[in-house]
Amino acid sequence: MSQSANAIRKKPVSLKKVILRLLLYFVVLDVCVITLYPYFAMLCTALKNRVEIFSGNTILPVTALWSNFIDIWSRAPMAKYMLNSILIASGSTIIAMLCGIPAAYALARMRFRGQTAFLGFVIVSQMFAPVVLLIGIYQVMMQLGLTDSLLGLIFVNAAFNQAFTIWLLRGTFMGISAEMEQAATIDGCNRVQSMMKVLLPVAAPGIVTTLIFIFINAWNEYTVALCLISTDTLKPLTVGINTFNGYNMIEWQYLFAASIFAIIPVVILFMCIEKNLVSGLASGGVKG
Amino acid sequence: MNTTTPAVSPKQKAPVKKTASPQQMPSSSKKLLRKVEPYIWISPSIILMAIFIVTPIVKVFQLSMSKVTRAGKLKGFNNFENFTNVLKSPAFSLVLKNTLVWTIAVVIISTVLGFVLALILNNQFRGRKVARAIVVFPWATTLVIQASVWNFIINKDYGTLNTLLMKIGLISAPVNWTPTPGAYFAWEIACGIFVTIPFVCFCVLSGLQSIDSSYYEAATVDGAGYFQKLFSITLPLVKSSLTVSTVLNIIYVFNSFPIIWTMTKGDPANRTDTLVTYLYKLAFYNGKQGEASAVSVIGFIILLMCASIYMIYTLRKGDDDL
Repeated sequence: MSQSANAIRKKPVSLKKVILRLLLYFVVLDVCVITLYPYFAMLCTALKNRVEIFSGNTILPVTALWSNFIDIWSRAPMAKYMLNSILIASGSTIIAMLCGIPAAYALARMRFRGQTAFLGFVIVSQMFAPVVLLIGIYQVMMQLGLTDSLLGLIFVNAAFNQAFTIWLLRGTFMGISAEMEQAATIDGCNRVQSMMKVLLPVAAPGIVTTLIFIFINAWNEYTVALCLISTDTLKPLTVGINTFNGYNMIEWQYLFAASIFAIIPVVILFMCIEKNLVSGLASGGVKG
Repeated sequence: MNTTTPAVSPKQKAPVKKTASPQQMPSSSKKLLRKVEPYIWISPSIILMAIFIVTPIVKVFQLSMSKVTRAGKLKGFNNFENFTNVLKSPAFSLVLKNTLVWTIAVVIISTVLGFVLALILNNQFRGRKVARAIVVFPWATTLVIQASVWNFIINKDYGTLNTLLMKIGLISAPVNWTPTPGAYFAWEIACGIFVTIPFVCFCVLSGLQSIDSSYYEAATVDGAGYFQKLFSITLPLVKSSLTVSTVLNIIYVFNSFPIIWTMTKGDPANRTDTLVTYLYKLAFYNGKQGEASAVSVIGFIILLMCASIYMIYTLRKGDDDL
């Protein structure tokens, strides 16, 4: 008796569950399709020839023209663009970390006058996007002789990523107990040693996340590079690919073939940190 | 506690003197060192931001109040003429209106959609990892590329949206998706929403994951329905994540340049310009650096109001964890 009552009660619930499940999969599938559609269009277009693109009759390329992916390297200094992007992104990451780690450490482990003010400034600095300050940045760069140089871009990227770096690392460091470092200090380590040998290894996951995030930001940066760099061979990919986006005609197939080269490394990196990003983005602490 | 000069930066000069030989230091200078030490640790960061953020800010304010030659030379205070010129120009009110529409539409719609998407992705289902990885894509892609693809997709002559819809049979002839500047602007907003959703989604997901599942179990035992749980448990607990993502988004979207620059360059006749594209054109196309700086300053003032809300909020939160 009680068994059958249970069965009756269970049945509608499970039916509802099945429908909800189906609905869930339907929505998720839709979201994925819409999200991936631009990439699909990009890949298909990158494999077509000019005539086929401008006829607008096909979705998939009639014959996949893989040679487009090879042609771009000779049609524009793609290798240079790629190298510049790598240099800018790695340089910015290194400088942002070298400046950000000590600052985050001080904010997490020490108390000092002006701490709140510094933290406040770090937060407010996010408000000033490089675009709005472009005129000022340009003038500073002129004075430093860093216009049209990769080094200038590296410094600007590093500076504008400080807020994020400090904020994320401070959260990471605060999430790690100071006891081990204190023990290390008793054993005769000084602050720098205890940070390098004890804290940083434990904080590694958070540090890697921060590192990759800065790298991606610098890799994807467009506006400052557009404004500061005028020599073609010094352009990063984001600016350089516009070579194919001419005044008179757009070479879509080359533009998108080059774009795919610009996207792939970043998407891979992003997927590596996706999990850590979720666990700590808004809570202000990436916990290892 | 033994303290030494941290080898953080070659740039610091003043404090180094005081930390010369830590071993033989008398206790008073040790005390001084301990006081100075935190500043040494933060100095590289401060120097970096001082040169590349604070100085440009000062420059922009200076330029906005000065007469500036086309070569960028300052010719003294000009009685806020830059501001009055900007405010008087008929384009400016249009641009300001566009900026507000752009910011509000992108932030609100992407926040709502991102929140819903996060709720969906927070369920346990097969393929969840893959779905999450896919959702990250637009966030990871640089905006220029994202914008050029959308520009291609919606092209009226050969865009793939028309091809796709015609193949499916939804339309019989190519549709002009961008008949008016307003329509183009709407597509730019759609593109902005598309790239902003992942950020919101991941912020909310991080909030959702910190919610103790026992709350939901208790609510289920008490007979609470889905929406009851959503409004009385989920929403209050992810409120802080939502606030952070919304405020950051307001700043990012307000200052977003590449989408509009790639799709329309603000044309025709400022109809799709926002403040940042407008000031870029003023400064680097028309050589009006003074007026462009004035536009920047007006932008700061608008954003400052948002940032102060954010700062009050995060600092309060930061004090709680200290």
